[in-house]
Amino acid sequence: MIVKYFAYIRDYTGAKEIEIDHFPTLNDLLLKLCERYGSKFRNKIFSNGNLSNEIIILVNGRNIVHLQGLDTCLSSDDEISIFPVVAGG
Amino acid sequence: MISPEKCIGCRTCELICSFNRMEEFNPKQAAVSVFAYDEAAIAVPIMCMQCEDPSCMKVCPVGAIVRDEKDAVIIDIQKCIGCKMCISACPLGNITFSPTQKKLIKCDLCGGNPQCAEFCPSGAIQYKEATPANLNKKKKMGEKFKDLFGEVYEQC
Amino acid sequence: MLGFTGKLLRVNLTDKTIKKENLNLEDAKKYIGARGLGTKYFMNEVDPKVEPFSPDNKLIFMTGPLTGTLATSSGRYEVVAKAPLTGTIGASNSGGHFGPELKYAGYDGIIFEGKSEKPVYLYINDDEVEIRDAEHLWGKNVFETTDMLLEEVGDDARVACIGPGGEKLVLFATVMNDKHRAAGRSGLGAVMGSKNLKAVAVKGSKSVQVAKPKEFLEICKKSRKMLKDHPVTGGGLPTYGTEILVNILNQSGGLPTRNWKDGGIFEHADETSGETLTEKYLVRNKGCFGCNMGCGRVTRIPEGKFKSFGEGPEYEAGWSYGADCGVRNLEAICKANFICNELGIDPITMGSTIACAMEMYEKGILTREELGRDLPFGDDEGIVEFTRMTGLREGFGDKLAMGSYRMAESYGHPELSMSVKKQEMPAYDGRCLQGMGLEYATSNRGGCHVRGYLTSPEILGIPAKLDPLVTDEKAPWLKTFQDLTAVVDSAGICLFTTFGIGLPEISEMLRTAMGVDFTDEEVLQAGERIWNLEKLFNLEAGFTKDDDRLPDRLLKEPMPAGPAKGLVNQLDVMLKEYYEVRGWDENGIPTEEKLKELSIK
Repeated sequence: MIVKYFAYIRDYTGAKEIEIDHFPTLNDLLLKLCERYGSKFRNKIFSNGNLSNEIIILVNGRNIVHLQGLDTCLSSDDEISIFPVVAGG
Repeated sequence: MISPEKCIGCRTCELICSFNRMEEFNPKQAAVSVFAYDEAAIAVPIMCMQCEDPSCMKVCPVGAIVRDEKDAVIIDIQKCIGCKMCISACPLGNITFSPTQKKLIKCDLCGGNPQCAEFCPSGAIQYKEATPANLNKKKKMGEKFKDLFGEVYEQC
Repeated sequence: MLGFTGKLLRVNLTDKTIKKENLNLEDAKKYIGARGLGTKYFMNEVDPKVEPFSPDNKLIFMTGPLTGTLATSSGRYEVVAKAPLTGTIGASNSGGHFGPELKYAGYDGIIFEGKSEKPVYLYINDDEVEIRDAEHLWGKNVFETTDMLLEEVGDDARVACIGPGGEKLVLFATVMNDKHRAAGRSGLGAVMGSKNLKAVAVKGSKSVQVAKPKEFLEICKKSRKMLKDHPVTGGGLPTYGTEILVNILNQSGGLPTRNWKDGGIFEHADETSGETLTEKYLVRNKGCFGCNMGCGRVTRIPEGKFKSFGEGPEYEAGWSYGADCGVRNLEAICKANFICNELGIDPITMGSTIACAMEMYEKGILTREELGRDLPFGDDEGIVEFTRMTGLREGFGDKLAMGSYRMAESYGHPELSMSVKKQEMPAYDGRCLQGMGLEYATSNRGGCHVRGYLTSPEILGIPAKLDPLVTDEKAPWLKTFQDLTAVVDSAGICLFTTFGIGLPEISEMLRTAMGVDFTDEEVLQAGERIWNLEKLFNLEAGFTKDDDRLPDRLLKEPMPAGPAKGLVNQLDVMLKEYYEVRGWDENGIPTEEKLKELSIK
């Protein structure tokens, strides 16, 4: 699986993109990433155990809100993108 | 304390300053002005620095300029005769005269809670002394050291 | 009623007369200001069938009741005229400091009529208003013109002007103010040029008053705090500027690539992103008047063949020169964007028109001989050179100056123009963002992203999360967004405030500034009134339901890859529903009932 980071999420991860072993669900993956990147990253991703409002996660370009949220199943060739909420236009 | 490197040139300080004085929006009646220099890519807010040894106070012929309990150098409107000597005396150009209101315009720190600092969106205007503890240039140097030597530990 | 100065300038450029007249407060109450009120004035006075470059077309500068106040991002003013690029009502707004200064001089707006024989500029210093000779400024670019005028009238003035693009009637010329800010779309700068009006220089020393100062201060404080605390307006926008959108649109599969023919994923997107711009070229942030976001970018390319210094690019300009032209070199993109500002042309249409020419070159419709050089996708020098040539109408630039539709049509291939009502659609692919497709098709000024901005719910999740790939709910959402953006544009504040504040805050600012007791619903209804008024203009100008459509590429060529793979835009489904929720008949014509409900007729 490939995980891509954008905007200031990169400040917490020190990387734009990583390859990582397969995890069955998004929740499993995120817990692993939190373990790897520490509390600053964790506090951006989760808020009271739920996905934070300040984060947008795409699995293969689809916002997980329109999939199964944290329970979204992952396969080994998925691409996951993690953004802070952003806007412009 | 003013940090021009943070100023985004929005002039919100001018807006709130004029509003505080007259309940109207009029940058030309504000005690603070922002000067933008396009080529140099910088904007600089200019306002009374409440000098330790104020020329305006010294030159005032009727003793209308005094220091209040908040350490602001203020003009006592009751005593002021409108001679405008203080305008000439201020080496920084931070006292002006309002022809419509017929009175001097000078920063009085809003009674201890300067609204320009309150509204400044970027932290370019802050109400605190430039003491060693506050001067962020010093702090920035410290942070540089942190970045240089600190990240080794963070990554472990 | 306050918020307004209550005065307008009427400047006849033919007979050189200047009149000061009272603002029509009845209309101001119904159409708020800026875009709405400017359009109302325009429609009262001008035949919708007027030729855009005829002296009978008028050019209106109009501020809103919040312009120049402590309201968040209150630097906006609107330019209104019949638009040369589209033939629709043209209304473009701009930030910076010019709009507020006009109000401080004592005027809510200026109506320019007729046409001057020779180049002139308008000088305003409070009550002193003069039409002055501008022969010496003609031919100068935006920066030179601004500097020369500031030298001439004093550097405490604010200048709005046109560059060579406007003078030479490039159909997408801009009106520029404070050097870098643009009333950018639909070619209103060319209308100014057609009148031989080079610039407006204004100085003001008067006050703008609001009806209920204490209450107004409270709501401004509250709104500013909401914007500061919001992760977007207080975090992402100030840090990365609007270019931050490149990656999220690309990852979502909605970043139109190579004149929209290669779908919505650009393989080099990250190289052109806000992250890269910030890391490599950002000098500092800049805010427009009264703004506490400061999304403006001061950028510098320090060396190399694209060495330059200026402001931007914004997301849509970065996209048009980047993904749309297949260019991955951000230095070239910045440079091309700077040239647009200097010459006074719209980078969205410019980049898109070059992208169209690139596809025509690739297909062999345009040749090296005709172009004067090769123009493949990805040609970084090409975007810079053809931008310059277009602004000055040199060589093939003379053709590009017509915009992509007329240019492609002149070679028998109008289908290669990615435009609606002859104006190029920006940066969001309607096959992926279904609602944005509907927005482009129904926008009153042709392909445009700021007449609604459904990207916000479809991609960014603000204020709700709509699935971009489906058509459900898009029509009613779009109606609300179109009406709300009409309110925001008419109030005189920046559209970006709506990422952090909403109708309740904007309505309260309008109530306390104007001293009019309308409800939130009535404010939103004013937006609907404005939308319908613009629609009436377009109908009278000759537009029909057939013009509310998208290029065939979006309707017939399925997305080749990404999350929207296989999809086209389902316009027919949404358009029908849209007309219904608007209270229009099946031909998209507002019913008598609706017009009565909105007190338009």
